[in-house]
Amino acid sequence: MSGQPIKPDKILKELGELWTNMGKEEVAGGDDQSHGGGLLRACAMTLISFVDDEEDPVSLGETLASLMKEHPSRAVVVRVREGEDFLSARVFAQCWMPFGQRRQICCEQVEITATVDCLADVAAIVSPLAVPDLPRVILLRSARVVRSGGIRKILPLGDKIIVDSSRTGAPGFGELGGLLDAGHIAGDLAWTRITEIRSLLAQLLESRKIGTVTVEYDGKEAGPEARYLEAWLETSLPDARVGLKGSGSAGSGKPLMIRVDGDLTVQLMSGCAEVRIGELKQRASLPLGADEELLNAELSIVVHDRVFERVLNQITA
Amino acid sequence: MQDPLRFHRKAPPCAVVIYGANGDLTKRKLMPALYRLAYEGRLAPGFAVIGVSRTAMTDDEFRDRMHDSVRKFLEDSPFDEELWQSFAQGLSYIAGDVGDPASYAELGKHLAGISEARKTEDNVLFYLSTQPSQYAEIAEGLAASGLNKGQGWRRIVIEKPFGHDLDSARVLQGRLQKCFNESEIYRIDHYLGKETVQNIMAFRFGNGIFEPLWNRTYIDHVQITAAESIGVEGRGAYYQEAGALRDMIQNHLLQVMATVAMEPASSFTSDAVRDERAKLLRAIRIMRPDQVADNAVAGQYGPGRSGSERVGGFLGEKGVSPDSQTNTYAAVTFLVDNWRWAGVPFYIRTGKALPKRVSEIAIQFRTAPLAMFRKATAGAETVPNMLILRIQPEEGISLKFVSKRPGSGMQLRPVSMDFNYGSSFGERSPSAYETLLLDAISGDATLYTRQDMVEASWTAVQPIMDYWATQKFNFPNYAAGTWGPEAADEMLARWGHTWRKP
Ligand SMILES: NC(=O)c1ccc[n+]([C@@H]2O[C@H](COP(=O)([O-])OP(=O)(O)OC[C@H]3O[C@@H](n4cnc5c(N)ncnc54)[C@H](OP(=O)(O)O)[C@@H]3O)[C@@H](O)[C@H]2O)c1
Repeated sequence: MSGQPIKPDKILKELGELWTNMGKEEVAGGDDQSHGGGLLRACAMTLISFVDDEEDPVSLGETLASLMKEHPSRAVVVRVREGEDFLSARVFAQCWMPFGQRRQICCEQVEITATVDCLADVAAIVSPLAVPDLPRVILLRSARVVRSGGIRKILPLGDKIIVDSSRTGAPGFGELGGLLDAGHIAGDLAWTRITEIRSLLAQLLESRKIGTVTVEYDGKEAGPEARYLEAWLETSLPDARVGLKGSGSAGSGKPLMIRVDGDLTVQLMSGCAEVRIGELKQRASLPLGADEELLNAELSIVVHDRVFERVLNQITA
Repeated sequence: MQDPLRFHRKAPPCAVVIYGANGDLTKRKLMPALYRLAYEGRLAPGFAVIGVSRTAMTDDEFRDRMHDSVRKFLEDSPFDEELWQSFAQGLSYIAGDVGDPASYAELGKHLAGISEARKTEDNVLFYLSTQPSQYAEIAEGLAASGLNKGQGWRRIVIEKPFGHDLDSARVLQGRLQKCFNESEIYRIDHYLGKETVQNIMAFRFGNGIFEPLWNRTYIDHVQITAAESIGVEGRGAYYQEAGALRDMIQNHLLQVMATVAMEPASSFTSDAVRDERAKLLRAIRIMRPDQVADNAVAGQYGPGRSGSERVGGFLGEKGVSPDSQTNTYAAVTFLVDNWRWAGVPFYIRTGKALPKRVSEIAIQFRTAPLAMFRKATAGAETVPNMLILRIQPEEGISLKFVSKRPGSGMQLRPVSMDFNYGSSFGERSPSAYETLLLDAISGDATLYTRQDMVEASWTAVQPIMDYWATQKFNFPNYAAGTWGPEAADEMLARWGHTWRKP
């Protein structure tokens, strides 16, 4: 398709044909009409992902497929590559049969490959492809787009933009703050990653009088999760002294332990947290936060998230 | 520190005292639900469970038993041995008889220690999972030793049945309310904890397009079905005392009907929602004795089939007397005397040993006023639209409507538009007991039954029970594996309706 103009109408027509064909296969495959469960075309949003071309298509496909269970969507994947003017598009569907069900669920995908120079064209193609009346969410994982300053070009495509500031090449806090200032809805998976920790801390700390809280992290420099945690504690416990403390040696920058006054600690481990209150020791499970779980949570929120915005403002102030 | 957009609801610190901790319900439902809540981090760190039953057991023996039950009955979620160890530290056990005053004194001492050691802030939830005849006795035992009051809150959860008829329900309430305030009494109806039943409210009141149709002008009739494909499976002795009408219709299905038919509440708060449910239940027309025969059908299964397997009848079950008059099937036509529903029959049926396990609500709309396409439907009258709210086994919603067959002629055929919760949203739904336990610990009684609702639903079924008690039924009157007695079909035929085959 390279070299030829890409027309959104044509892509939509191909999507339509894809469904018709799948419907036919389904009918031909089921020997008994009343038992052939049919095909369910489900859609709750348009999810537009920008990734660098090097990103493994299989693992990205798996992540997107697992999102479909909770957030059935029309997925548009834009693979951004090096080079000069290049643009191509193809259409396919991803289907699965939920366990114990007799009906397949299918989600449609449009894959567009483009160079950074073509981002303006990509926007013109993607916007008519979005499903009307439903939210449009941009997942920005392409360092190329960030480096080239292309964010502004793709922003009008979505109601919300999701980044992961703990990935290399992601936009920094300053840039994210700029998006909020311009009135955009943004989400950061580094923030989503600490939801369970925050929820546990809220349960533990809410009815206490707190003097000092220290967030200890692994390494010399605090990563975004540790910084979010510190800023959130500062904004929600205005009377407490909140501090960050690194382990000193080289490390990931991720939070390890939260110490509250002399008698309460929350130690973060893989998949769980150990809470000690004086003599009492209790374990709480903390989901590991695989990318798809985090995205699932983030896709559920397509409104301004005031708590996140307040915390980000605290960091960038 | 709260973040309602993102945080899951968490329970405040408390101790749960389970009476009947050696029983079936504790093993199958309560402990797995509590463990699952702990797994999800919903419980406070110092959460404690105290089991009470007669059998002598050490704390460790109790923990071991619960460990095995949770492993066995934990549905669709992983078992984490380390988390269990931590959860199990909060479990303890007291052997005692509910009739023995000393056992309450011992519990009191134990609770005081736990409140200190596990920081439960002296909040206590008493969960009565014993035989119903012991509910009042336990409440009185707790009150006599002062355990019904404390520094923290006290709540008492009771399992159905709430009495076995209107009078006994009132007697039970009279005794309970001497010990606990109504706001502290949580009557559990696990049907109301099911996701779909809660979804009925979301569906009705969260969408603008259905509610205007939700009345006698557009709805022809409603069918509520709760079918089991299995028989009583060894619980014959228990079931013999209850029967389908008492076991299912009086509580669960009338609550479901109330959810389908109630007026919108002014807010989604516990009392506003329950007021509307109660109002609907009170608006159900009470049958006169001479109306029962036409509007209620009792059935009992005889030998038949379950799938390809031959199965015996109810009378052959262990513990069932050979001339038992127990109904294993019941179907009732209820009418609601209010402006919204006047003249619309609500058919409710439930039974054991029916062809499949299915629970659903089918709302049949009136047909289009003019049979314009009579020829196109091959002479059939216009096909009515139907909205099906499925509760079990696949939760979802279907809408049936007619559409034109592609082609040159005006050929119509009914089609179904389906929405499946399970497959459209892959997220695991919490079990009814998880939802309801978390609600009780958090003090949210929206999904619990209030005494006025209990009395209203007993009032609605009492005339049927009274009339049936005077009858000698010619049981069995349906074969296992069929859709119930013929009389149930005749009941609908009198209104010009037929049962749906779900
Ligand atoms: N099982 C279900 O799925 C289910 C479903 C809905 C509602 N329910 C209701 O839930 C309640 C409990 O049902 P269940 O099936 O768990 O009953 P169950 O198996 O009979 O358990 C009751 C337990 O109470 C203990 N108990 C009996 N008499 C006692 C006494 N005098 N003092 C102290 N403990 C005593 C017994 O243990 P010891 O022998 O050790 O004393 C027994 O294991 C019932 O009201 C039932 O109607 C049950």
